[in-house]
Formats: sequence, C-alpha cells, structure tokens
Amino acid sequence: MRPIEAPAWQSVKAGQSEMNLEALEGALGQGLVIGVLGGFRAILADFLWIRTNTIWERKDRAKLDSMVRLVTTLDPRPDFFWINGSRMIAYDVPNWRIREEGGYSDVPEERQQAIDLEQSAQAFDLIDQALEFHPDNAKLYLEKAQIYLNRLKDDANAAKWFLQASQQADAPYFAARIHAELLRKQGLDEEAYDFLKNLHIQLPNTPFAQKGIILERILDLEKTLEIPFWERFIPTE
Amino acid sequence: MMKITDSFTRIRLIAGTTFLEAVRQKFFNSLLLISIALVGSSTFFQQFDFGTGELKFITDFGFGALFFFGSILSITATTQLFFNEMENRTALTILAKPVYKLEFLAGKFLGAHLLMLCFTLVITLVLSGILYWREMALLDRLGNELISSGSLIRYGDVFLFGFLQWLKFGILTAITLFVASFSNTNLYTIVVSFFMLVICQLQYIAREAYTGMEAGWERFLVLVLGLVFPNLQLFNVGDQLVFDVEKAPAVSNVLQITGYGLIYTVAFILLAQVNFRRREI
Repeated sequence: MRPIEAPAWQSVKAGQSEMNLEALEGALGQGLVIGVLGGFRAILADFLWIRTNTIWERKDRAKLDSMVRLVTTLDPRPDFFWINGSRMIAYDVPNWRIREEGGYSDVPEERQQAIDLEQSAQAFDLIDQALEFHPDNAKLYLEKAQIYLNRLKDDANAAKWFLQASQQADAPYFAARIHAELLRKQGLDEEAYDFLKNLHIQLPNTPFAQKGIILERILDLEKTLEIPFWERFIPTE
Repeated sequence: MMKITDSFTRIRLIAGTTFLEAVRQKFFNSLLLISIALVGSSTFFQQFDFGTGELKFITDFGFGALFFFGSILSITATTQLFFNEMENRTALTILAKPVYKLEFLAGKFLGAHLLMLCFTLVITLVLSGILYWREMALLDRLGNELISSGSLIRYGDVFLFGFLQWLKFGILTAITLFVASFSNTNLYTIVVSFFMLVICQLQYIAREAYTGMEAGWERFLVLVLGLVFPNLQLFNVGDQLVFDVEKAPAVSNVLQITGYGLIYTVAFILLAQVNFRRREI
C-alpha cells in the first residue's frame, strides 16, 4: 500500500499546515478536530469567538485565555483569531490585572512591568504557535513587533521583529521604514543609513512604497553622520 | 457451474433492493433534508464568520456537512440495512437460494454505496448552486473586469471533493459491514464503526510519531496498525481545492487516492466475507 499512499499523502500533507505539527499534543488536537468536525470547525470556532468576546467584556482573564486557545485550536487557519487573541492577552489583560491590584497609581512601576512581561510572554507564545501554521504571514511578525514597541517599550526587539515582518512576501512597506526608525531611535544611525540606502534601491517605483520619505530620511542621516559630499547616496530612478 | 454473469445479476438485484429499501428509510430522508437545509443556510451562518472570505466559508461549510452527515449516514444506514435482513429473517430466505454470502455482502455494499452516491451528489449540487449564486452576486458587486479569469470558483473541484468523499464513504461502508459481520447488535456495530472512523482519521499521527523509532517490535506494530487501519485523512483535500489552482492535487495523486480507497474497500468486504461465512444466521 505504501507506494500508492506515500506520494499522495505527501501532497495532501504539504497542503495543510495542521498536519505538519511537530508537537504530538498539537498534532493530536488538530487531527481530532479535522477528523471529527471537518469543515464545520470554522463555524464552531466563529461561535466560540463570539463567546470569547462576551468573556472579554466581563474581563474574566482565566476563561479568556482558555477560550482563545480553544478557538485557535479549533480553527487555526484565520489569522484573525491569533492576532486578536494575542492583543487581548498582551494589552487588555495587563490593564485588568493592574486595576485588580489597586490601579496604576498604587501598583509600583516594577510590578506593572512584571505583569506586562508575563502577559506579553503569553501573547508571544500564542503568536509563535500561529507562526507554525502561517510561517510567511507578515501580520503575525508585525503583531510581535508592536507588542515589543507599544507594551514593553523594547525598541531593540521591536526593530528585530519589524525587520522580520518586512522580509515576508506580504509585508506592508511601512514595516521596513519603522525598523529603520527604531534603529535611529537606538542611536544606530550608521546601520539605519545603510539599511535605508538598500531599501531605497530595492523598493519599486510605486507611490505606496513612499520612496520620497525614505530619501528624506537618508538625507537627514547623511547630515547627522556628516557623510562627505562625494560619498552621499545618489538615487537611481 | 454458475456463470460469473449470473453472479453479477444476483449482486445487482440485491444491490437494487437494498438501495430502494435505503432511500425509503426515514433516517436517510431526514438526514438528507437536514444536510440540504444546513448547506442552504450557509449564507446565513456566514454573517457569524470572522476569519475567511464568503465563498471559502460556504465551501468549508458545505464540505463539512458532506463529511459529517455522510459519515453518520454511511455507518448508520449500512448497519440498519444489514441488521434489517437479519432481524426480519429475509437473509435466511435469500441465502437459502443459490446465493453466495459474498454476493449477499457485495449486494448490500453496492446498495448502501449507491445511497451514498445519491447523498453526495445532492449535497454537491446544492453546494455548487449556492456557490454559483454567491459568486454571481460577488462578481456583480466587484465588476467582472477585476477578475482576470472570469470565475472565482473551480466547480470541477467541488465535484472532485464529492467523488473523493464518496470513495471514503465506500471504505466506511465496507468497515461497517466488516464489523456487522461478527457483531450481534445494531448499537455495537454503530459504536465500533465510529471508533474505527476516529482511529482511521488519527492513525497518521501515530504513524508519524513512530517514524523516527529504531527498528523493533513497536515500530513493526505501528506499521501493521497503519496498514490495517486506512488513512482517511488522505481524502481530506478540501482546503487545497476550489480556489487555488496551484494548490490542487495532481491527477496522479487523485488516481493514487482512488486506488487506495478501492483496495481498502475490497479488502474490508473480503474480510467481512471471512467472518460472515462462519456466521450462523
């Protein structure tokens, strides 16, 4: 049977990321969901997502976490569940926890940071799982970058993830620009200058790419870095 | 000596009677109506969808209904058809005539499989109709010039999925007949067949988990189990069909899946025959 089954199975498996999970626990869950529910898993996940929103409104963080995991296990295909689930965990839950402990004015800064780190770690864990299903989805890399930037105020890691996002096929043009800006913010002007020069050369001549803004930033950096006139960047149109 | 054509005639007659009996069953008709209603209402359920496009949602929903209700129907209808013959003692009358037990089983299988063909065809047609209606509405809204190929859906793929599911139902029907051949009750047959379905859906995980294992009796055991239980996930190609021509499985793969399905179906019918031959009716 193997000569008949093996080539067809390779082709079927390659087309479905749910069947390629490394961890046995995840593979069993996905196998069971696909095996028992088939195409109905989408509608079931949708109804459970509505329930998740009710739980989110009630600020029940224990149930919220398990519901997000249940929904993403049932239907890992839409990035909507992963992205919104990770936002709830990384942005909303820390606020609830800080309020539960007395509010922003009473909870010490260190404690607030510890809660942020804890919740962000959970959100990163969720996004990492999502990346197993959608390894080329720029939105997921962006989500991780945004959490580092907006919640953890960690520019170095945010820059790293914006760069990864910019390297995906469906990446928005702004991901690379934000990476360069974050390099500048960290004082890495030379790296930002080299990155922007390469970016300007690689980008297509479309208004969406905003090459004008990139050129402005290159000129700005040339002044800051005091690049000699003869070594300055000459855009090729 | 009985001619082979006579044998086919007897199988055809048993299959025809079984099919007629099956389509008259209230269970079949109600399940078919529920499935049609569910597929028909997929556009209503679409408003609860968050993650996917309208056409993808309807396709998933239709494929889900086909797989879910089809699996229930193939197991339950086959069990009912088999045990009706036993309980009403009509099997005795048939087998008292010069009819081989294999012919009886083959006739029962073909009758049940024809029933599944009807079910699959009706659901696939309803799904295609709804997809066509929504596609036209979408094209009207977007304007045809935005769509280079003129069509968003590959309708042939909908029927290809239906065909592959029908083959899968064939394996399920044969498995159910095999279980029924040694079981004494309806309920036992249905429960065991459903367990077999779940095992067949999940066997690929066990097989892959043990792939890296060093040679030994456990590895041998997994290989044997992988051979005994067919890999039903092989027929689960719905996500690769309908929308993206690049993702669609190659013709050679479809033929391999078809061959795989047919081999297991015949194997389980023959196994059922081995049990049924020894059975006192």
